[in-house]
Amino acid sequence: MEIVRTVIDVISVFVLPALIVGFPLYGLYKRVPVYEEFVEGAKEGFEVAVRIIPYLVAILFAIGMFRASGAMDFLIEGLRPLLSVIGIPADVIPMGIIRPLTGSGSAAVVLDMINQFGEDSILVKMAATMFGSTETTFYVIAVYFGAAGIKKTRHAVPVGLIADATAFIAAVFVVQWLFG
Amino acid sequence: MLNYIWGGLVIFSLIFAIISDVRDLSRDTYRNGDPLPVHLLFPDGYAESQRRTDVEVHVNASVYKEFYGTEETPADTYAGVLVQTADGRELRFAKDVVLPEPLATVRSTSSGSDNELRAEVTAFTPTPADTAVAIQASIQLPRVRFVKMAAIAQAALDFAETAVTIAIGLIGALALWLGLLRIAEKSGMLYSLVRMTQPILRKLFPEIPEGHPAMGMIALNLTANMLGLGNAATPLGLKAMEELQTLNQTEDTATNSMVMLLALNTASVQVVPPVLLVAIMGLQINQLFFSILIVTLISAVVAVIVTKLIGKLNAYQKTDPALIGTADAGESTETSD
Repeated sequence: MEIVRTVIDVISVFVLPALIVGFPLYGLYKRVPVYEEFVEGAKEGFEVAVRIIPYLVAILFAIGMFRASGAMDFLIEGLRPLLSVIGIPADVIPMGIIRPLTGSGSAAVVLDMINQFGEDSILVKMAATMFGSTETTFYVIAVYFGAAGIKKTRHAVPVGLIADATAFIAAVFVVQWLFG
Repeated sequence: MLNYIWGGLVIFSLIFAIISDVRDLSRDTYRNGDPLPVHLLFPDGYAESQRRTDVEVHVNASVYKEFYGTEETPADTYAGVLVQTADGRELRFAKDVVLPEPLATVRSTSSGSDNELRAEVTAFTPTPADTAVAIQASIQLPRVRFVKMAAIAQAALDFAETAVTIAIGLIGALALWLGLLRIAEKSGMLYSLVRMTQPILRKLFPEIPEGHPAMGMIALNLTANMLGLGNAATPLGLKAMEELQTLNQTEDTATNSMVMLLALNTASVQVVPPVLLVAIMGLQINQLFFSILIVTLISAVVAVIVTKLIGKLNAYQKTDPALIGTADAGESTETSD
């Protein structure tokens, strides 16, 4: 297991450079006008950033208020003894609540936690892993079934939430194992 | 659901702020109006005519604890300046000095951006003879009320501003990533991955007949998800749902394949994390690639097993459109949602 950690530690340095170089390289090989396509895609960067502003404001200010009022500490300290039994830090609970509901909002939770604990914190890594590992379940169900005109979703919601809960718990232990 | 949680955050903030402020008022946490006894020491001597005099403030630890009813211990001495103003003498604690509670709160609520605690000096009668020794005095700290109320309002404003600053700061990273993903999309990376996933998907969607277009759409949707191509994945997913609907015996009830597609979407194996996360985490994302990949592998396996198992439950078997279509159609559709 120690070897796996070391290997991942070493490989991880190359992941981003490999993707940043690899995508254009593969594109060249496939005879795609890489420069033009890159610029075309990059144009969306501004749009996406502006599009998430309302969501970030909505969730960040609400969480900021919740924290400033002392309610966040109350909630987290209240849950801590319960969650520590299964080894889950209570500080990641906000992510678990917000994640199935809103994607940009979960980004706001990660940002709030970076503010609180610093970028290197293992709690931030857990929250970020949860963010990356699960989907906005309720949104996906609403949009996908809405498009097909399905009203009776049968076991879609329980299955989606079980998947989210699994990822949530797995994130805690995998991050602890990899970076703890 | 989100409406209630969001509303709950805001309302509970208010409730907690009120409770905490009322408690402060009833316990008189900040001893508003009561003078705090201190000793002032003038290292450079004291002259009545001087407008500004450097001063060391000594606060007796046990007196402080008694006065505020707290466990916090003040430092031996704080640097400050004694200023002669038109209204009397004012003690200004040095800027950004580390203060114990509740003095720190008094400072943060009473002083503006300068972070300087100012107190009115009362009961201060220096005699020219004893300049070198500590002189007893009392200081009157600014009145503090409704700390949390002010704090939540301030937090709301601050975080609203932060949100925009953050979003603007993400533009560069988002542009870089979206540009790269666009190249990946245009170079047909999806199609090469689809060929690899096809055999696995056949087993997960047994109800889809060989060669039906639904299968191709599902494969495209899931691989787009794996590559973190959120923008491309959603339209492909919607197309897949429409294709699945053509195989549906009923109008408005989800088939097993639809539920499986949903499950795989919410628990999709993530080879490349979502754009927003990459932009936020910067270089840190390097390591997170692996934690996310491992976690999603686990959750995808669990999601598939759970979907198959829960689908076997009696309540869901009864509503299965595939079975309704063959057996007594129409009758059991009303039994559960």
